Amino acid sequence: MKTIAIDLDDTLNDFTATLRRTEFVRDDAHPISEEVFQDYLAKVRGGWDGGGELLSTEYSYFRYKIHHACYQRAGARDDGVAFLQWLRRNQWRIVICTRRDLRRAQESTRAWLQDNAIPFDHLFMAGNKIAFCRLWGIEHLVDDDGFNIAHGGRHGVNVYFPAAESSPPAPASPARAARGFRTFDEIIPWIHG
Amino acid sequence: MDPRIGLLKAFYRGLPKDRAKLETEEHGFAFLAQLLSDGTVLEYGELTLSGLLHKYKLARIPEARMDEHLAAHIGKTRNLCLYFDDRANDLFCFNLDNNQLADSSALIPEMKFAVRRLEDSLRGAGCEPLIVASGRGYHVWCRLDGAVANERLHAFMLRAGVATAAALHRAGYDRHRVKFNFYPDPRARDVVSLRLFGSLHARNKVFSRVLAPTGLLDEATSWEYFADYLKNKTIPVARFHAACDAVAPPA
Repeated sequence: MKTIAIDLDDTLNDFTATLRRTEFVRDDAHPISEEVFQDYLAKVRGGWDGGGELLSTEYSYFRYKIHHACYQRAGARDDGVAFLQWLRRNQWRIVICTRRDLRRAQESTRAWLQDNAIPFDHLFMAGNKIAFCRLWGIEHLVDDDGFNIAHGGRHGVNVYFPAAESSPPAPASPARAARGFRTFDEIIPWIHG
Repeated sequence: MDPRIGLLKAFYRGLPKDRAKLETEEHGFAFLAQLLSDGTVLEYGELTLSGLLHKYKLARIPEARMDEHLAAHIGKTRNLCLYFDDRANDLFCFNLDNNQLADSSALIPEMKFAVRRLEDSLRGAGCEPLIVASGRGYHVWCRLDGAVANERLHAFMLRAGVATAAALHRAGYDRHRVKFNFYPDPRARDVVSLRLFGSLHARNKVFSRVLAPTGLLDEATSWEYFADYLKNKTIPVARFHAACDAVAPPA
């Protein structure tokens, strides 16, 4: 069976745009002052991962809560939904492959996929998606992560990434190089090749 | 049947057996199809950054299949992790983790202090703990002879945890270097599972040894200690409630 792995955030949805445009309001569930709330929110929007010496902090918890809200609010790309429905009609096995912490986000992720009529077979979290695809024999990965775009081909994984409107056309060769797409339907002939 | 399976079944009798997380190096779609062949459902899978370790959160596990997973756990080909009941449990567990980003598996002085301080306070309250090394720290288990509402278990653990963190601070340690989690947590359902006793550490494959008052026990002695705890140190619910009233009186 043909198998493809597909990322969620900033690939199938508009996570970063949602993070930037959404107005978050501090509530009683946030045991921090309004000043700290706004400071943390600005840092989350700026992409700060927390740094420091500790694994788990007040900021890392806050960051997760904001990200989780964005997982739920992000909009699905219409062409992405159509692409996955095409994959389903054509008997592809679809693996949703994400860096999200699915221990906490599994239910909301499933609900989002269902609400957007996105078909899939399995849900996986992986910090190293290239390793995951290699181990599971998956040749195709749709993902926006720069590391995977740069290194997928070297490890036998064809990576397709959403390119900005101003990006140059996708390269035709070499065969294993990552390819950027403007709309998901551009991927169809590539995975047929 | 391996007698250790009987011990695990007895110790964890109150935890739901229709759902679990498996940790194993086994992977691939053929393996997954076999894993799900009897109606078991995969909620999600995970490839960790610890070697080739995969984790599978499973639901709707038939009883016979759970026995297979227990046997594999004893056989050290898989680690079996169970979730707590949503409402009431006869087990509760403090999960103490090294919270440092660098070398998080190291046994730091703060951890040594915290686990012994917590052990002393639980024992002083009449709640004898079973302490198991867990990779980044310790799981401090207490087993009751009957189920207690999760809210009450959590309130007790929260206060014991805060007291331990305060003791760390008073002793001049940085309390932030030890992360405390308390299970069951009534705020989260089916989010965190804990490895059963007898597991292997994900990275170094070291057996999860019991921490006795004399120090860490070897594998065989850990099993003997585990069996003795089950038989002789399970905590009467009435004693737990008395301890709970002392540290966390009802509002």
